[in-house]
Amino acid sequence: MNKWFRSGSPWIWLSAGGVSISLISVLGLLWLIASRGLSYFWPSELYQFDLTDQHGAKSVVIGEVYDREQIPVSQLAHLNLALDPEQEILERLLIKTGNRELVSLDFRWLLSHNIKKTQTPKELAVVERRTNGNFYGFIESVVVDGNEVDKNKLPELLTRVDNFQDQIDDLQKSDIGAINYQLERLRLKTRKYQLQDKLTTELQVEIDSEIAALNQDYAILEKELMGYREQISRDHIVMRAMDGQLVTINFEYILKVTFNNQLNTLEKTALFFSHIGSFLIEDPREANTEGGVFPAIFGTVLMVLLMTVIVSPFGVIAAIYLHEYAGKNAFTKLLRIAVINLAGVPSIVYGVFGLGFFVYMVGGSLDQLFYSENLPSPTFGTPGVLWSALTLAILTLPVVIVSTEEGLSRIPSEMRYGSLALGATKAETLWRIILPIASPAIMTGIILAIARAAGEVAPLMLVGVVKMAPNLPLDGNFPFLHLDRKFMHLGFHIYDVGFQSPNVEAARPLVFATALLLVSIIVALNMTAVSIRNKLRERYKMLEH
Amino acid sequence: MISISPKALAPGSDTSFTKKLDLTNLTPEQVALDINKLNLFYGKKQALNNISMSIPKGQVTAFIGPSGCGKSTLLRSINRMNDLVDDCHITGEINLHGNNIYDKHIDVAELRRKVGMVFQRPNPFPKTIYENVVYGLRIMGENNRRKLDEAAEQSLRSAALWNEVKDRLHESALGLSGGQQQRLVIARAIAIQPEVLLLDEPTSALDPISTLTIEELINDLKKQFTVVIVTHNMQQAARVSDQTAFMYMGDLIEYSDTNTLFTTPLKKKTEDYITGRYG
Repeated sequence: MNKWFRSGSPWIWLSAGGVSISLISVLGLLWLIASRGLSYFWPSELYQFDLTDQHGAKSVVIGEVYDREQIPVSQLAHLNLALDPEQEILERLLIKTGNRELVSLDFRWLLSHNIKKTQTPKELAVVERRTNGNFYGFIESVVVDGNEVDKNKLPELLTRVDNFQDQIDDLQKSDIGAINYQLERLRLKTRKYQLQDKLTTELQVEIDSEIAALNQDYAILEKELMGYREQISRDHIVMRAMDGQLVTINFEYILKVTFNNQLNTLEKTALFFSHIGSFLIEDPREANTEGGVFPAIFGTVLMVLLMTVIVSPFGVIAAIYLHEYAGKNAFTKLLRIAVINLAGVPSIVYGVFGLGFFVYMVGGSLDQLFYSENLPSPTFGTPGVLWSALTLAILTLPVVIVSTEEGLSRIPSEMRYGSLALGATKAETLWRIILPIASPAIMTGIILAIARAAGEVAPLMLVGVVKMAPNLPLDGNFPFLHLDRKFMHLGFHIYDVGFQSPNVEAARPLVFATALLLVSIIVALNMTAVSIRNKLRERYKMLEH
Repeated sequence: MISISPKALAPGSDTSFTKKLDLTNLTPEQVALDINKLNLFYGKKQALNNISMSIPKGQVTAFIGPSGCGKSTLLRSINRMNDLVDDCHITGEINLHGNNIYDKHIDVAELRRKVGMVFQRPNPFPKTIYENVVYGLRIMGENNRRKLDEAAEQSLRSAALWNEVKDRLHESALGLSGGQQQRLVIARAIAIQPEVLLLDEPTSALDPISTLTIEELINDLKKQFTVVIVTHNMQQAARVSDQTAFMYMGDLIEYSDTNTLFTTPLKKKTEDYITGRYG
């Protein structure tokens, strides 16, 4: 035994065990969020349950099975169920029944004890809608322009509506959006002239004529829009819900109609991927509990990239100063310790700092100086994507400084001497020799910064993230990148959907799906940075002495 | 010791070496560097004691001595590399063209262009062979491709490396062998046409064959440059140098032409050292 200890094997076992535990927990985490998140997109079987409750009342429930639970009979004593006295455990099912206009709750618990018959009728359809969530039921009839038509025409009619819908979106987002933007700019221009006392009658007339022209364009577009609206609201379908009620759903609100029970595995797989696709590229609907997360993906990536662009030069410059130019004395040491300790400050504190300094002080002053025509409504004096990026840049600055400094100190002095002995100045040596060799270390710092910044949510809630941003920070209107705009963020989206939405139960799979997406995006960003670093390493690999 | 060709063994066998120089009494035209009462301190510790010597132009001068005798320190003072050492300070002067290089108005970068240096371990930059050679020229602002190409070829030829690398000029310099790297570093140093070339134990990290190549190269280099070499290898000093200075504990003990120093040393310490009694 003693010999075994001295051989060192226990330590090998111990450390290998540590590695395994870490590995298992990471894989377990990924597996959990992946399985829960991805199952959200899988078109599941639609069931029709015939129930008889303890009082003998019969009813029908239609929906998807979301969850199954085992509960002890003792908890259900008050229901006076007629049970076998031996039985201790009962199963109950969580069913998503949708049909929000009929019942306010999307979900229902069913005791399997009460289920008398379970069917999966082929004609059962699920209708994804723009409002009120899914509708589960049977299609009674399809009505085109007041006349009932064959149900087989449904796909064709849906495609037609889709096309109109695309045109409406296009019109609203680009053309009408641009006109609104220009009108707003003209309003600000007028206001600016007024403030400067330069508003002459000629100018006023000129601006008025521009506004009139824009309004005319707007009227034309609006007419077009109304035309499309009329077209898509022409037709409707009539659905029979689980309790026999007939419900009319206008095509205007229909996104997709699927007969899940008629699909084979291949079709289900195709639908699964199409669901993932629309999750990635669509805007959220219904208080974020439905639809996609595109604005949140865009906001997250844009903010992280902005942060990287800001933090890298500052971090590198600071590290160069600390390592190359600052005197090697107690003050420098103190400074270094302070920088390292900055990394330990709770992130919400940075959020408070960002709000106080960037948003109110810097942003407020910018508004006073450059955007006074827009006051009292603030332009930069309000949380926005620029301030978020700056706040996170400060948060991650220590990481970049520390790893850049480490990289600088690893460079053998022969490299410096070699360059200096050729008549290069210190600055030239830094620029041409030292920085390229240190670039992999700088990239390491940036990787760590990205990893930290992409996962931060707390400070962002103070300096720029919102539940729902009407516009992306990047669009077709000059100056294209609108740094003053608020943005959506996946991390905040998870919090919002999971804990703030009106329908937490319905949103739970969405939470996992979004979490999986956030992890994938961070991994993708990091992989990009790592591959850049590996290229640099290959290029500037050190001499192996 | 490996066997060495007679040519390399015979000191000063080169035909350019015609007459013995009187080192204490050189004419200004013959002097490349004039070191005058040089004292150097690292903090409180004195590393060089009152060194005075003249280094003749177009010849190879070797500094020898046991480890820690100050020979490398003296070499590094000549292009002010010691400036990079914290709390190092210097009194006395080193004159290049009659100007003290420690004068306040001297541009150190400019000085280092005139006094090139090659270090103990090969230190090519992690760039291509070509970019290594033209580095100094690019620093001086030369960007004309043709001129750079010419200078690169000429320097590589002078450093006896051209034939080995001409087909892979644009590959990484780190792929070269140690001996080739050291010749590349020499090519890099001579590409900017310095007047003086300082070699700080240039072969101590190399194998015997590469050492021999470098020694032959040094013999050729002195036609164009004044060469000062520090070596801990007495045979090497005997083989390559015209003058030899023996240093001990920061003092310049003896300085004369190589033949005299190795055959009839004047000082007891010199004799002890070259006969291997210490060091």
